[in-house]
Amino acid sequence: MFQQYQVDGLFDEMFAPGGSPRGHYAAVASRLANLGGAAFMRRRQMADLAFRNQGITFTVYSDQRGVEKIFPFDLVPRIIPAGEWRTIERGLVQRITALNLFCKDIYHQQLILREGKIPADLIYGAKMFRREMFGVRVPRDVYMHVCGTDLIRDHAGNYLVLEDNGRTPSGVSYVLENRVIMKRVFPALFNDYRVRPIEDYPRNLLHTLRYCAPAHADDPTVAILTPGIFNSAYFEHSFLARQMGVALVEGRDLVVENSFVYMRTTAGLRRIDVLYRRVDDDFLDPLSFRSDSVLGVAGLMNAYRCGNVALVNAAGTGVADDKAIYPYVPEMIRFYLGEEPILANVPTYICAREKDRAHVLANLDKLVVKSTNESGGYGMLMGHQATREERAAFADKIKADGRNFIAQPVVQLSQHPSFIDDHFEGRRVDLRPYILYGQKVIVMPGGLTRVALRKGSLVVNSSQGGGSKDTWVLEDDPVPLLAERETPLELNGVAR
Amino acid sequence: MTMVTSVPNAADKLDTAAGRAERPVLAREADATYWMSRYVERTENVARLLLASMECMIDVRDVAPALLEKQWRAVLRIMNVEEPAAPADSTETFADAVASHMTFDEENPNSLVACLTRARENARGIREGISSDMWEHLNRQYWAIRAPETRTLFQESPHELYKESISGAMSFQGLTDQTLPHDQRWHFAQLGKYFERITFTCRVLAEDTGMLRASAADVSFRNLHWSTVLRCCNSHEAHRRANPGEMEPVTIMAFLLLDPSFPRSVRHCVRMAKESISAISAEVRPRTVDPAERILGRLQAQLEFTDAAEFLAAGLAPRLDHVVQQTALAALAVQKGYFLH
Repeated sequence: MFQQYQVDGLFDEMFAPGGSPRGHYAAVASRLANLGGAAFMRRRQMADLAFRNQGITFTVYSDQRGVEKIFPFDLVPRIIPAGEWRTIERGLVQRITALNLFCKDIYHQQLILREGKIPADLIYGAKMFRREMFGVRVPRDVYMHVCGTDLIRDHAGNYLVLEDNGRTPSGVSYVLENRVIMKRVFPALFNDYRVRPIEDYPRNLLHTLRYCAPAHADDPTVAILTPGIFNSAYFEHSFLARQMGVALVEGRDLVVENSFVYMRTTAGLRRIDVLYRRVDDDFLDPLSFRSDSVLGVAGLMNAYRCGNVALVNAAGTGVADDKAIYPYVPEMIRFYLGEEPILANVPTYICAREKDRAHVLANLDKLVVKSTNESGGYGMLMGHQATREERAAFADKIKADGRNFIAQPVVQLSQHPSFIDDHFEGRRVDLRPYILYGQKVIVMPGGLTRVALRKGSLVVNSSQGGGSKDTWVLEDDPVPLLAERETPLELNGVAR
Repeated sequence: MTMVTSVPNAADKLDTAAGRAERPVLAREADATYWMSRYVERTENVARLLLASMECMIDVRDVAPALLEKQWRAVLRIMNVEEPAAPADSTETFADAVASHMTFDEENPNSLVACLTRARENARGIREGISSDMWEHLNRQYWAIRAPETRTLFQESPHELYKESISGAMSFQGLTDQTLPHDQRWHFAQLGKYFERITFTCRVLAEDTGMLRASAADVSFRNLHWSTVLRCCNSHEAHRRANPGEMEPVTIMAFLLLDPSFPRSVRHCVRMAKESISAISAEVRPRTVDPAERILGRLQAQLEFTDAAEFLAAGLAPRLDHVVQQTALAALAVQKGYFLH
């Protein structure tokens, strides 16, 4: 199974440079090595069937009907030792704290701009900057309640932040379902490990949502807003609604009256206090944003600005995960928290800056260029793999609209064994942990490990042929402290 | 060794669950629940209709080939389906064409595949409102009927395919009863199921396949007709137990329409539908009379306080028309009252 396994000078999660498995992988590696391809394949088919029967699928829009596909599940688990995780966790807590303070600052006093730490034109030029949010108080001053931060590891194994998904990050349902299926088809693998459980995520999410309800709601009604069954993440929306026991609503189920938001029930209208919206800002309210959108509901922003409904995440958080503003996150951490960043960024050139732009244009063949407002692996150029024509076309785009692009050196992502055909081969991985910011900051132990199943590919997005793995964070012995930290923004002393 | 169990503290409980009002049912959810259930019931009925017709035709084939086509046209009429285009392949008989049109044709809104697809689409929109067992069962059936092996099964033994569809649909009804709380959602599912069943039974009874007139003297054709009707309504065994001996048309009609306790009799279905709409309206709008409840209550009385002779005095057809019409009005009233806020 591992006979022809090659490390290729990359950082391998399972194998140390000498070729022997790292300590925390030893037990899994020996079990897998003794299993045999056919037995592994059987388990994989079991897992695929379970995913399909449960309808754990995403929709690909290749034709008008849309095809339901399984998110490929790679059964070799990714394992993170407790000590390593503690650092990641502290880094993530620090980061989301700074990002929330940044959002509040940007939409109120703008101290960080006045101090000249971030150029103001970068902020005002951000597509996701919402001037509608200026001066609006949001409940508990929390903007980014849910964040999915993408981490990668470089050739030396250092964890780096690739981007912060602070709008409506998805994928957490796969994390939870992967674990369920993994326990079902590979129970023996868990024997040698104490893996930290992740099942309480929906409960923590519900706590977070209820914590951020408007003050008038003693017993807030929470609902998830989905674009509907044709959305690629519909399974997740429905999954979270089921796990939390809250209503799953579409725009057409909602109506705004006297600046309150209601859902249409069999017994008439019923007020909603908290909307966990999985619809982008642009589509929330045709009166405020895109007037052609039917996914949201007219008048929602007005109700929100009146403080009659809470939106999770807040409108306007996109300004914090704009790729051209991302390079300033370490500066935000220093500015708001007076701390040094625990997790480093990937070095980034901002094409809006003239000096950076010149460097990018001169070195296109060595860089990855990304559009600042796209996600899902769209709108990017892998300079070292692109043809001369593709690079020339991208250079023109960069010259025409520098604000829209950033560039980063190619990071050789770490690799991890994946089951390919009938044996194991190394494939590149990243990691998206999920962070909740409510009464406490809670980092889910683990997250979504995405894997680029195409050989040599560095793009892990599901829309680009990516798969996922179960991610195990190991318990320390004895049980480690909970990953909790009081939020500095807490207003009134709510009992814990 | 000490066992450490996590004890949730009181504040925790207060924060999430305690004493909160039940989650309201969205109008869209009620709508989808109703249709999901209605389409599952239709799946079962279509499968039974095709199964019974095939079995009956095996008996008729050599004796009266002309009846064959009539029976298959009756199948289309019962399900309100247009005749399929003439088969491109001339070796295919009309019977084969109808059977595959009613089984696999996605363009035909009442084919087995189409009914199952729509049931599942509706379920997919309300997954958080139904149980995982229900969803997985329906989803599995959906994938099963689309699998290439199913085509082979259909070629080799259509009976097996229909039997599987029937038991799949019935298991779903069982799962609905056993995994869904019997609250508003369940009652909307009940309404869908019973409205569909009432309409189907009446349409089967109303259909004259020609067998009755084929030859007034030929008792065997007459019996075949009535036993097919009973099989379509899954009432063959129950009827025989209740009425051993000869197939008496009036007894059969009375059994299918007026039997007080058989779950497929129209009277029973109307009573169950009436109970469900009463439960819904008592919860949603107490102290008012719901329009659908009024219609179903009246219909229930007409079916309960009568006997076969009186009920059928004016002939079967006008009675069936009346029942179908009142059921349609009740369905419309439910839609207006609860789905279109």
